[in-house]
Amino acid sequence: MVNRLTLAVAGSGKTRGLAEHCASLPRHRRVAVITFTQANQAVLRTRLAAVAGDHAGIEVMGWFAFLSRHFARPFVPFMFPGRRILGFSFDGRPHRFAKGAARFLDSESRVYACELGRLAHELIEASNGSLMRRLECIYDEIVIDEIQDFSAHDWDILDVLLGSSIDVTMVGDFRQAVLVTNPRSSKHKRYAYAGAIEWFRERAETGLVEISYSSITYRCRPEIAAFGDTIFGPEWGLPQTESKNYLETGHDGVFLVHPDNVEVYVKQFSPLCLRNASSSGKRYDLDYVNFRVSKGTEHQRVLIVPTAAIEKFLHAGVALEPGPAAAFYVASTRAFQSVAIVVAKADNCGLPWWEPSTKMVADKEKTAFQSDTARRS
Amino acid sequence: MIKKVKITGYRIFESFEFQPHENLNLIVGANESGKSTLLEAIALALTGRINGRRASEELNPYWFNTEVVDDFVESRKAGENVAPPEIRIELFFEDREELQHLCGAVNSEVPTLACPGTSLRIVPNPEYADDFERWMESPSDILPVEYYMEDWRDFADNRLTQRPRQLITAFIDSRTVRSAHGVDYHLRNILSDNLDPSERAAVSLAYRQVKVSLSDGPLREINDRIGVGQASLHDKPISLAMDQSPRTSWETAITPHVDRVPFSMSGQGQQAAIKISLAMDRHSDRAQFVMVEEPENHLSHTSLAILISRMQDLAGEQQQLFITTHSSFVLNRLGLSSLLLVGPSGAPRIPELRDDTVRYFQKLPGYDTLRLALADKVVLVEGPSDEIIFERVFVDIYGRRPIELGIDVISMGGLSAARALELCASLGKRVAVVRDNDGIEADKLREPIDDFLEAGERELFFGEIEHGNTLEPQLVHFDGEDKFRRMLGISARANLANWMERGKTEAALRIASSDETLNAPDYLRAAAEFIHG
Repeated sequence: MVNRLTLAVAGSGKTRGLAEHCASLPRHRRVAVITFTQANQAVLRTRLAAVAGDHAGIEVMGWFAFLSRHFARPFVPFMFPGRRILGFSFDGRPHRFAKGAARFLDSESRVYACELGRLAHELIEASNGSLMRRLECIYDEIVIDEIQDFSAHDWDILDVLLGSSIDVTMVGDFRQAVLVTNPRSSKHKRYAYAGAIEWFRERAETGLVEISYSSITYRCRPEIAAFGDTIFGPEWGLPQTESKNYLETGHDGVFLVHPDNVEVYVKQFSPLCLRNASSSGKRYDLDYVNFRVSKGTEHQRVLIVPTAAIEKFLHAGVALEPGPAAAFYVASTRAFQSVAIVVAKADNCGLPWWEPSTKMVADKEKTAFQSDTARRS
Repeated sequence: MIKKVKITGYRIFESFEFQPHENLNLIVGANESGKSTLLEAIALALTGRINGRRASEELNPYWFNTEVVDDFVESRKAGENVAPPEIRIELFFEDREELQHLCGAVNSEVPTLACPGTSLRIVPNPEYADDFERWMESPSDILPVEYYMEDWRDFADNRLTQRPRQLITAFIDSRTVRSAHGVDYHLRNILSDNLDPSERAAVSLAYRQVKVSLSDGPLREINDRIGVGQASLHDKPISLAMDQSPRTSWETAITPHVDRVPFSMSGQGQQAAIKISLAMDRHSDRAQFVMVEEPENHLSHTSLAILISRMQDLAGEQQQLFITTHSSFVLNRLGLSSLLLVGPSGAPRIPELRDDTVRYFQKLPGYDTLRLALADKVVLVEGPSDEIIFERVFVDIYGRRPIELGIDVISMGGLSAARALELCASLGKRVAVVRDNDGIEADKLREPIDDFLEAGERELFFGEIEHGNTLEPQLVHFDGEDKFRRMLGISARANLANWMERGKTEAALRIASSDETLNAPDYLRAAAEFIHG
């Protein structure tokens, strides 16, 4: 077993790197490539078809599909004799105090997505070794993308995988941990974000896993990369991000934009407009995408309408909680060339203010005047 | 390798379970006892197919066990809300690495067991639940299979759509009428499994090229001729070319030849032999299952002997054979230890024999072990005269011949009663061993077979020494010499001892057909009463 974790910064070409890793493997190696989102699976399949089309043993699947196919479905009778799993309930939740099979399966024997990790983990032991023996015979290697999206019982399962004969290759960035597989579980909360890195560092010390860093971004301008690094404090112990985006467009870097100038800015640069949630940013009539949803995408320029916490961070240097920090990190690192943050004041951050050029203002007034006269006539 | 077979509700098998031998299984049973059905069931769960077609296409009401269906219909008529009958065939495989993707705990074992396996179920189709309930308002014993569906899965609960790669199965049925093409579905499968993927691809490609060359060569001139002046429906040119569609792939054109005679032209016995050789001769080490129906068909005794020894040579460690047979010769030669007796009771019986007994019968392949195996009850006697007299005694008491009551009287003809008794004992048969005392004390007579005797099940019968050493003096003792001479039809002057010595069987026949009442020796009467039960 060779277990590797690569902590990759946003824009470092993670997906491409994974596809290349798979292509570099022996042709007959049996590999499960696991990702969390459907969009990601589609991207990976396309990439793999392009570079590793001759590797017949590579399967791309979601984490839930993996747990369902190799853990829950084959072995559920070990915990609940005579029961079968007849489907998957993505949104269902068991009754808070549900016991036994009702904890995991709904009335139509569909397994609750939010309890699948726990069921899978308990089955490893309940099956008296059959489960892991089967898995070890089926796969030589398991590749997990977006490892930061693990939660709760997933960590226990990963622990077993790391100790198995299967090689585990993991890629992720804990600063981008914005998905939660089980929103209600309190188990392993401490392993979220920075705790997760700690979890891996403990295992690296015993030789169970090798950690490496991929700190070069091909996407974000150096100014954006440097700003991104400030969102999480030095206590995370992560290396500095290096940028290889040397393209200059005349408006490159991170800027503060006064609320009064938002309209002009959007008109001039057509950035992707980002907000925290559908309840935020109502002051401006913009075509928004939420922070979390923007994950995995990239854009020339972005404009961020910050939360109160982000404003406090910029104005007074108050550190963000890990969850909001991750969302803000994701939002900022979507851009190739420029990030604009809408604030009225931000004394502590040292970022430059963007001002509309006088010509722009004149243009704006002219346009207003013209439409005004048009209306009057 | 299949470790266990479980069949529920399929044809004759209401509930059936057995653990096959690792390499060789000789399935033996009376007619209609389910030998072929057993092979069919195993093939169904292995390949999802029966006679080369999908189970769902072949499904018919007679697949369901009649007793199960009757019970169901009765219960429903009585107002009980019991579930409709289902068919389930489960195969449990050895826990091998390459079969692990078939591994799981979704099977009927209690307590829960994880192992590789496949299960084929015929279950009510939920989409037709309402129609089925409507049918139930006036049910008949012919189930509406239209409302059923096939559900073929591995033990990991994955649906199977085609035979898993590792489960290579060959089905050799020498009873099938030869097909028009000579090469039927089973043989095509055997042929194509026999070749490596690369060999297969090479043959396929070469065959295509041959077809192309024919189109480019002789056919071109013809096409040049018919291409002009002949108008098709839309005035497009007509040409002749080799058919390249899958209908005409190499598998349909390539056929085995024996001594340059095509397969389809050779005798049926030869065909069976070829199929067996092709199916068993594989170089790969994958799990394989070979099923042979009645190899003795269409074969002369010598050909059968040759075929059997070839099968023994080819059988590898990775192969599991299932053979049905009606032939004691096949049974003895391949080894009685592989015998699997399928009976009406459902649970098959497997004898546990000592190795030297298996070897004993292998050296005597002509010995009719099948009679021993198939009879309900057995009477072992020493020779033909004992057989004839015993029958007469039995008929005198019960008015019917023993065979009519499932009792087979078998004359040992000098072979070891102990070996025959061992086989019967291991199959749990009721046996009466009848023998002459030959002037030997009871204890000494009993000694060589004592291990296999069991009061009430298998007993030894012989006359008392003072009544005579063999059958004839015993008869004289119980009937008196005068009556005896009358039965034999010999004069008072003839020497009785000499006469009987010279013509034992003739004497027995005369006694058996005599109109005189026979006063049977006590031990024969006791044996008849014991075996009649």
